[in-house]
Amino acid sequence: MIRLVSNPMILKELRQRLRERRAWLLPTLYLLVLAGTVSFAYYATTDLEMRGGQGEVQGADIGEAIFLTVVITQMVVLLLMAPVFSAGSLTIEKEQRTIAGLLTSLLTAPQIWWGKFVAALLYLLLLLFSALPLLTLSLAFGGVDPVQLLKAVGSTVLVLASLCTVGLWCSSMFRRSVHSTAACYGFVLVLSIVTAVVFGILVSQWESHNPLARAEGPPAYIQAPLFINPFYPLLALLGGGAFGQFSYPVSSWLLFTAIGCLAAAFAMRRIQRSGDQL
Amino acid sequence: MIEVASLRKIFRGGRGLGDFSLHLESRELVGLVGPNGAGKTTLIKILSTLLPPDSGVARVAGQDVGANPRGVRAVVGYLPDVAGVYQDMRIREFLEFFADAYRLKEPNRSAAIERALIRSGLSDRPEDFVEQLSLGWKQRLLLAKTLLHEPKLLLLDEPATGLDPLARITLRQQLKQLHAEGVAILISSHILSDLEDICTRIVFIADGKNVAEVASAVAEGAAAPTIRCEMEFEDSTSAAELILKELVSGQVLEKSDRRLVVELRGGPKEASAFLQRLLAAGILITHFDARGLSLEDRYRRAFGRESR
Repeated sequence: MIRLVSNPMILKELRQRLRERRAWLLPTLYLLVLAGTVSFAYYATTDLEMRGGQGEVQGADIGEAIFLTVVITQMVVLLLMAPVFSAGSLTIEKEQRTIAGLLTSLLTAPQIWWGKFVAALLYLLLLLFSALPLLTLSLAFGGVDPVQLLKAVGSTVLVLASLCTVGLWCSSMFRRSVHSTAACYGFVLVLSIVTAVVFGILVSQWESHNPLARAEGPPAYIQAPLFINPFYPLLALLGGGAFGQFSYPVSSWLLFTAIGCLAAAFAMRRIQRSGDQL
Repeated sequence: MIEVASLRKIFRGGRGLGDFSLHLESRELVGLVGPNGAGKTTLIKILSTLLPPDSGVARVAGQDVGANPRGVRAVVGYLPDVAGVYQDMRIREFLEFFADAYRLKEPNRSAAIERALIRSGLSDRPEDFVEQLSLGWKQRLLLAKTLLHEPKLLLLDEPATGLDPLARITLRQQLKQLHAEGVAILISSHILSDLEDICTRIVFIADGKNVAEVASAVAEGAAAPTIRCEMEFEDSTSAAELILKELVSGQVLEKSDRRLVVELRGGPKEASAFLQRLLAAGILITHFDARGLSLEDRYRRAFGRESR
């Protein structure tokens, strides 16, 4: 356990990342975007005109709207950032010709991988946790359970960790950061958009064959493509409303864990053999 | 220190190493010479555990590079041809990171870092960023980093590439010093004069094979079996060439209008006799320089004049 934390790669990576200009620029932009969306969610919920003049506004409605807006927006933004921080971390060592120094030191491939992974994930967690005050705003309005909030954050961390491992795998495969980052974005696109499109096609066919079962929501095998969609566990956790039919968050978590483990194993194996990429 | 026998590593393009053998003792400083693509870098990468061989034996300090790469890394210092540095780290941080990467524990860690700072000549600027250093200083820092764990064997692949003459001189001095301290060194370089100055033995490599091994001037002293005479004349070289033809043991290496470079079998005695014959024939000589066959001559002899 101590060796996991005292890995010199972690200190080196964090030191280098926090010296970059984007170290303070990105959190600033990230919080500005989230603050903007929270403001929009608040006014959209409380403005009677925007609600079509429907009755009184409950505090719980505002809390739920803010919570949903923040968790979805931050997932979108972090999905866009995860490849930037992970997919370039090994390729930059190749581009700067520093990887030979790492590979011929006494650092093992898992240690190199772990240092890169922790540094990439920690930066994303910095962003995620910096937005916690905005998320807890929803608790003040009500309508959101603290456990729900914890589950949402935990689910986001799991998805991000899984994507970081995929980014590192891409980074171990390619020689250039631009190629590995593009490959990682392609993977994110497949998970986020392609799975939703496949689900849409499957569910429309299912509904046409089972018009009476529509209210119960599609069965697990129809939802299966969505299990690897980064938004699925979040929507499943929220439950109720339009997302009540998404009821398999555990399956989704298990799949993301499996993706992460596989990508980590492939990446470590590739790092061990990256001498031929020099 | 290094035992390599029947080593093979063939890349897709066909180049690499084929049936290469080499033996390097402790305290030897061996130069690796050959044309581009001959297999020098491949050999060094295999010995530094970066590349696995296809077949054959490669041992460093008695440990197989494939079976025990960590054991090999613990005793080897490797400096690649184009080594990168972390530009955004301070000099001390850079050394600290590699001291940790080599698992040095206190108080050895601090001592090794201080020693590296002194060795690199950067002890007065440890808080400077690496990016502030010139190429020569970066190379000194890299060499100091490579020596942090006090390796028994140094593998240097073209370490003088891109260095200015002064930095090259400093590097040569450092390598001589390390050799004197008992570190075995295998160095590949295209700068033959540097190798000639520091190496105890030169290995010629071509098409992935060990084609020749010679003791360099450092080891053999002045006892060369042939001597190279470089001459410049007031008039043309034709008269001198006629005299050379009379000598069975002489041949022309280079020729221009008034300059002639010849190789004579023998030593200084034979060169003096040749000079006397030229003077006796009334040939006006403006320059005469006789010395043992240089590494460059041997290289030309081994690989011809064509670059690959």
